[in-house]
Amino acid sequence: MARFLIRRLLWLIPVMFVVAIITFVLMHMAPGGPFDKDPSQRQVDAVTQKALNAQFGLDKEEWLDFAALSKGDIVGFFDTQFFTYMIGGTVKGQWRCGFICGNLGLSFRQRGLTVQDIVLKPPEGKAPWDSKAGYSLRLGLLALFFAMLIGVPLGVVSALRQNTPVDYASLFIATSGVTVPNFVFGIFLIIIFAVFLHAVPVVPTSWDSPLVWILPTIVLGFGLLAQTARLTRASMLEVMRQDYIRTARAKGLGERVVVWRHMLKNALIPVVTIMGPALAGLITGSFIIETMFAFPGWGRQFVTAIQQRDYSMILATTLIFALLIQIANMTVDLIYTFLDPRIKVN
Amino acid sequence: MKKSALFAIIAVFVALVVVACGTPAAPPAVVQTSAPVIQTQIVEKVQTGAPVVQTQVVEKVQTVVVEATAAPAAKEKVLRINLGSYPDIVDPQKSSFVNEIAHLNLIYEGLTKFNEKLETVPGAAESWKYNDKATELTFQLRPGLKYSDGSLLNAARYKYSLMRNIDPHTAGEYAAITDEIAGAPEWRGADLSTISDEDLAKLQATVSESVAALDASGQPCKEGADGYAQEDCLTLKLTLSRPAPYFHTIMGIWVSYPAKQENIEAGGDIWWTSPKYQIGNGPFILKNMEPFVRARFEPNANYWGDKAKVPIEYAYITDSAVAFQAYKNNEFDIIGLAAEDLETVKADATLSKEANIYPGSCTFAVMFHQKKEPFTDQKVREAFAMALDRDGWVKDVLRGLGAPTLTWIPPGYPGYKASDSWGFDPDAAKKAIADSTYGSVDKLPEITDTFSDTPRNRTRNEWLVSKWKEVLGVDVKLNPVESTTYTALTKDQATAPQMFILGWCADYPDQQNWLSVYWKTGGFGERIAYSNPDFDKLVDEADQTVDPAKRADLYQQAQDLLIKGAPVAFMWNNVNSYLVKPWVTGLQLTPQDAGWAGAQVPTSIDIDASKMPSQ
Repeated sequence: MARFLIRRLLWLIPVMFVVAIITFVLMHMAPGGPFDKDPSQRQVDAVTQKALNAQFGLDKEEWLDFAALSKGDIVGFFDTQFFTYMIGGTVKGQWRCGFICGNLGLSFRQRGLTVQDIVLKPPEGKAPWDSKAGYSLRLGLLALFFAMLIGVPLGVVSALRQNTPVDYASLFIATSGVTVPNFVFGIFLIIIFAVFLHAVPVVPTSWDSPLVWILPTIVLGFGLLAQTARLTRASMLEVMRQDYIRTARAKGLGERVVVWRHMLKNALIPVVTIMGPALAGLITGSFIIETMFAFPGWGRQFVTAIQQRDYSMILATTLIFALLIQIANMTVDLIYTFLDPRIKVN
Repeated sequence: MKKSALFAIIAVFVALVVVACGTPAAPPAVVQTSAPVIQTQIVEKVQTGAPVVQTQVVEKVQTVVVEATAAPAAKEKVLRINLGSYPDIVDPQKSSFVNEIAHLNLIYEGLTKFNEKLETVPGAAESWKYNDKATELTFQLRPGLKYSDGSLLNAARYKYSLMRNIDPHTAGEYAAITDEIAGAPEWRGADLSTISDEDLAKLQATVSESVAALDASGQPCKEGADGYAQEDCLTLKLTLSRPAPYFHTIMGIWVSYPAKQENIEAGGDIWWTSPKYQIGNGPFILKNMEPFVRARFEPNANYWGDKAKVPIEYAYITDSAVAFQAYKNNEFDIIGLAAEDLETVKADATLSKEANIYPGSCTFAVMFHQKKEPFTDQKVREAFAMALDRDGWVKDVLRGLGAPTLTWIPPGYPGYKASDSWGFDPDAAKKAIADSTYGSVDKLPEITDTFSDTPRNRTRNEWLVSKWKEVLGVDVKLNPVESTTYTALTKDQATAPQMFILGWCADYPDQQNWLSVYWKTGGFGERIAYSNPDFDKLVDEADQTVDPAKRADLYQQAQDLLIKGAPVAFMWNNVNSYLVKPWVTGLQLTPQDAGWAGAQVPTSIDIDASKMPSQ
């Protein structure tokens, strides 16, 4: 077990590097730069552009500085945009450690702020879970609980009551969850609960009250709920037809015991499989939810950074997401061993 | 399993519903009212009853309040505005977007400012004077000016801000706008990686002489912190490298706003995120700024002019549908009116009265690259311009949110003059093609229309292309590109497309900003390779003419010359469109409103609490 964990953790490093390389290539392939803004605005003139490029290190070579190598400068050879970001390089004349030291880089758009300030640091005087990452984490976990709490029982019941009204109701919910886009669903819920029923304000003034978290959680979790319900149902149906279930019933066990002790654990394996990456996806925030509810998470940063060509933000958020997904997959693999003793970590 | 599982599911649903609907409508946190007795009565009424009845009760309470008119609304007076996107940076010498300027205009004030008629009027400076040749501009500041924290504001502060704007280390987006100051372009353009420290210091010293803070006897003010505390340091003398009688207007925009040096240094690169460092001299104080959620501004008691009457709150909802719902739910007092919601608003009796649609500060045109065939030929440009039905454009594409134009400077701005050149005339358009060097449409090379790929732009450009097909019979290819790519392409003459829509919005209300800054050789018009030496001569002369009447006439001649050459197809002026609640009083609408209706003169705004519904 320990060896498995160490091996998986060591694998994180090369995977992160490959992700960084691919992201970096794609980022710089897209034409335009961080200082190309809305065309109806005044554009930066050439002189200011040059000064900004120097300030942000965009005047360095992208991968490897062969000009420096030809002068015999080995340090300079690696003092390029990619290595400066990942490992470290000269920033404004001083050597600064990069991503591996937790320095996620200066944001190109929100000048003066580093990416870790924007994403990981809470506003003045607030707790760590009030940072953008903290908000998204909380919402993601809530959405996951919501999806699991309702999706799994729904799937189980519809499997046990196959082809009854309950089954059809759950089918309806599942289909609508998968087909209706979440921005349509979101505005729909806002109109019902905020405008007609006045149960919540349309725009929350503060995220301290638990009431305002309900709508975003439902909108974010509904898709996963639908998927989970269908998956649980299908998985239960398969397990229900197994021989050992018939044996258990023949032994004289009550129906409830059969379901809880024998069916459920086996039926949940596929559900656990999707739970890991699903959680990673939920935590990484949803651009649409954040725009619609003015939710202070980090999903919006990720998407707008691409359009703004905020290179540090793009790299940092992509690498963090890659890390989260790997950890999620690792955790899921570990949970398997508890669910099914036949599965071993090697 | 059957019964208990079902029961559990139902229980969960019921719990959710109860939790969601259990608490009554979220009232605002702070309720300050002068008549607490009446407030308690209303609140008690609202809390009784189930959710369905609650709605009815609210309506009843509303009508009671309106008829009685005696009970003031149980609400704090605050102007709640949805600004749109959250600013990237709120730093006077580094900001450039409208939403950023909307913050700066509340916290700070420049040497001059613009009134409701967009005339340049005294701000922190009570008067200013040019020398005969308009190469020296001397500002006289008001005595006794204070920052919001009570500390002294004098000319030394403004000197620091102007120097910071020009300083190459700042690299502000609008740094070039003060290039008329002697020595500014050289210092600003210094290559920091190669220049020696002494040379850099020399360049800085030249600019420091051009931006002189002087005391009552004409001597330079003391340096550093002593200078900031010097009470008689009230004169700011600017030396310009060439006559610029419009420079006092430029001193009204945000680049000269006097942020405090010690705050900037104490806060470092992120000084602007914290209200304790954003100490300004404007009509409001920044109380707090919660990124992407809220910003709160309180009236500044230390402001020299008319004190603001109500605090202001900005919210940052970018989804216009959500903002619209929130507005209808009385959660916002001012929001931007999106074109998608215009039909709904016009059809509604209440909302149509709350819509404020008035001329904006921008002009948009279809740009033709002067060096790319076939637009090298003026006749072709004329033909394409005359094939466009601008009234149809405003009616069908903009859905009424705009105004057609055939000239460059928009109405409401100094130098505006309506034109009738190259207006919609299909026959003349066809004739122009025949008269051109190509002779007929099938001899024209391939023409593409490039635009930033959004659904709105798709509709717009498809309209344009269909018009040209209809009138001229020419097939123009649509070329959508990703938005940042589009910006990158249009920035440089070599990569700029043959044809694309582009606009210009006024930085400050003066012809120089519209004509010289944009169309002079080397200005923004360089991207489409526009260069007319006669035009350059006219605007150069106008820029340096002190006599206002002669100056206006020269600019007019330049504008006429510009239009005559049909370099682009001037199409439309934008409008500012906002929804404003009826209890917001004292709004003064100007085309230059940055971000919200009445933003240019925020101190006259008040809230009539008696008109607000109480819920």
